[in-house]
Amino acid sequence: MRRYRWFVVSALGLLAVLTGFLVANIGDDLVYYQTPSEVLTDAGRVGAGRFRLGGQVVPGSIANDGASVTFDVTDGHATVSVAHEGAPQQLFREGIGVVVEGTWDGAIFHSDSMIIKHDEQYRTEDGGVYTPDSRYPSP
Amino acid sequence: MIALIGQAGVLVALVSAVALVVLGVRSFLSGGEQAADQLRFPIWGLIGGALIAMGALELALLTDDFSIGYVARNHARGTPLLFTIAAAWAALEGSIVLWGLVLAGYATWVFRRLRDPDPIGAAALAVIGAVAIFFFGLMATAANPFTTLAVVPADGFGANPLLQNHFLMAIHPPMLYLGYVGMTVPFAFAIAALAAGDGSTAWLERTRRWALIAWSFLTLGIVLGAWWSYEVLGWGGYWAWDPVENASFLPWLTATAFIHSAVVQRRRGMLQAWNVALVIGTFALTILGTFLTRSGVVASVHSFTQSAVGPALLGFLLVILIGGFGLFAARGHLVASTPRLDSLASREGVFLLNNLLLALFAFVVLLGTIYPLILEAVTGDRVSVGPPWFDRAAIPIGLVLIFAMGIGPITPYRAARLDVVWDRLRGPLQFTAVTAAVVVLLGMRSVTALLTVGFGTLIISAIARNAHVTARARPGGYLQSLASLFRSDPGFWGGMTAHTGVALVVVAIAFSASFDTRTEITLSPGESAAFDGYTITYVQPFARQESNRTVIGAEFILYRGDSRRATLRPRLNQYDNQVQAIPTPAVHTGLREDVYLSLVRIEPESQIVTIDAMRFPLMWMLWLGGLIVVGGGALSFGAKKRTRETVSV
Repeated sequence: MRRYRWFVVSALGLLAVLTGFLVANIGDDLVYYQTPSEVLTDAGRVGAGRFRLGGQVVPGSIANDGASVTFDVTDGHATVSVAHEGAPQQLFREGIGVVVEGTWDGAIFHSDSMIIKHDEQYRTEDGGVYTPDSRYPSP
Repeated sequence: MIALIGQAGVLVALVSAVALVVLGVRSFLSGGEQAADQLRFPIWGLIGGALIAMGALELALLTDDFSIGYVARNHARGTPLLFTIAAAWAALEGSIVLWGLVLAGYATWVFRRLRDPDPIGAAALAVIGAVAIFFFGLMATAANPFTTLAVVPADGFGANPLLQNHFLMAIHPPMLYLGYVGMTVPFAFAIAALAAGDGSTAWLERTRRWALIAWSFLTLGIVLGAWWSYEVLGWGGYWAWDPVENASFLPWLTATAFIHSAVVQRRRGMLQAWNVALVIGTFALTILGTFLTRSGVVASVHSFTQSAVGPALLGFLLVILIGGFGLFAARGHLVASTPRLDSLASREGVFLLNNLLLALFAFVVLLGTIYPLILEAVTGDRVSVGPPWFDRAAIPIGLVLIFAMGIGPITPYRAARLDVVWDRLRGPLQFTAVTAAVVVLLGMRSVTALLTVGFGTLIISAIARNAHVTARARPGGYLQSLASLFRSDPGFWGGMTAHTGVALVVVAIAFSASFDTRTEITLSPGESAAFDGYTITYVQPFARQESNRTVIGAEFILYRGDSRRATLRPRLNQYDNQVQAIPTPAVHTGLREDVYLSLVRIEPESQIVTIDAMRFPLMWMLWLGGLIVVGGGALSFGAKKRTRETVSV
């Protein structure tokens, strides 16, 4: 493979340069995912562009005025207030998991995109993780 | 009982796969005399065991046998028949059974094509056997679909709602698997050629049809997946650079590079080592795709489970990469070709450009797909790479690619004289200029979109000119010659058909990216709203209970001016087993554009409804183009064989 040596070396060099260029370019399009605790402890997130915030909607915190909706999101340790532009999805309700995307001004998270969390685990009615045995106890 | 039968099937297949490896290697080492006789029993065991396993799984689903954990988790008494059958591949364990069955099917097909003596064929079957050991080994251990429950539930839980929302769920995964698994065959033959140090093109000739079939199925799987996410998922798009979409696109890119560079090797005896590397890379990417889909390392609509299967797949991927490329590094020189390129300005030169671009494309997509995994492993940050990054990288590469598609097929082999190429290009270029002017008048201002439409037109008009000139030069009637073009050279004209489809797809993408609009609209019953020249009138909400889900939705009437175009009923489907509701958009497809309504919310008391209204131009062209690409692949392997022998399977 001697005659390919220079070809391989230069190809690898080009790939390395390309990788560096692509990764350096990725910055603005990288969407970070944070929990409320991480948001509150990381001062660098204030005004630092868009990211995703995930957690559960705190019961009793929802206020809806038609054009926008405000609510609190918690991960059990910390709570962040969210102001969401637009109508929330059909299944938006207290206690449900949401992922919102937007910016954080230090006091309120301004969101314009909401995903009701797609939960891969099936749940039983009382919230436990489903197993056939737990749903249908033997007589 | 069914569980026992199924498990027995898995074990029979596993033992047969081991026997296939041992006997295949022995046959290879002894020169491959009467390979078919020696390998008959392992092949029968492999396909028989796989059929029994799949049959047992289907039987368990159809007879509501909830003593089997897989059935209890993925099926319920209320599940409609189609989704009951599809439940066999709707979740992790079952999808591996399907994988095993498809692999066994391909192995049987390769076996039926064995020659005498056939050392390469025997070695290839041994490689397929090794792959089968892995998958049937998974079924016997970490992903056992036949584990039974101590307590038998009265009813099962039903499949993942996303997957029982549309009939395509029944066909999209098998198509993808036929594509993914089919790549094993060229891989196995490439490894066999490396092991034998066979520098001839024999392995390419033999695997040409399998490569084309796998490629066609993979293409179909990707098109169906895009259609599914457009028509079913309701977020209003067909491609989002989702990690799992990328997972199917990556092997498609390298497989596309391979079927092109294989032409160069067969015609001119070049790029042999490159072909071997491409095939190994393609197979590794199919395993990477399965790993991304099935291990839960990426958040996606497709990733359902976290289990021991992930690490196993990762390990297998490493074995392929290290083993495959290690063998390549050690023995690649034995299959490397000697002829050199006469001139870069030649068909070979354009093929080379095509290959470099496709490989580069694959590299970029791969980087964006696994970057979040690497970053999370290093820093712990959870991130996703946004579609704009992929768009920025894909557009320049794609533009050069479709330009090369336009000029490649009309560039002569060896050394192209400029006047010859110009002569062939002049007419198509004039046609392209006219088309571009029309599109500018229509209001398209984006340079990228204009270039895309221009190159797409160039591809199609150059092909049309080529067909016209070739047909006219042949003896006999013009129309007859035109019709018999395919029989004269099915490989080339099948390829040209696929190129036409790709051109339609890229033009449709350019139009939908330039002219799509979307708005959120909120209406009370009886109210109307204007939307891009249409009027949308909200009639009433509705709700109904079906056997496996509750459906709520809203009825709209779509007007254009005064003429009533359609009644649209976007819905939300609430499945009994999950909090997440699955939207089903309502799409009105027209020649000019689609109007697409997706339900966001209905207020329970006031019945006020919020919808996302979207308009996508020329969507039919996207789906038609995709199907033409698949048809081109099918034509290029189908037509030729009719004259020599019938195609089995």
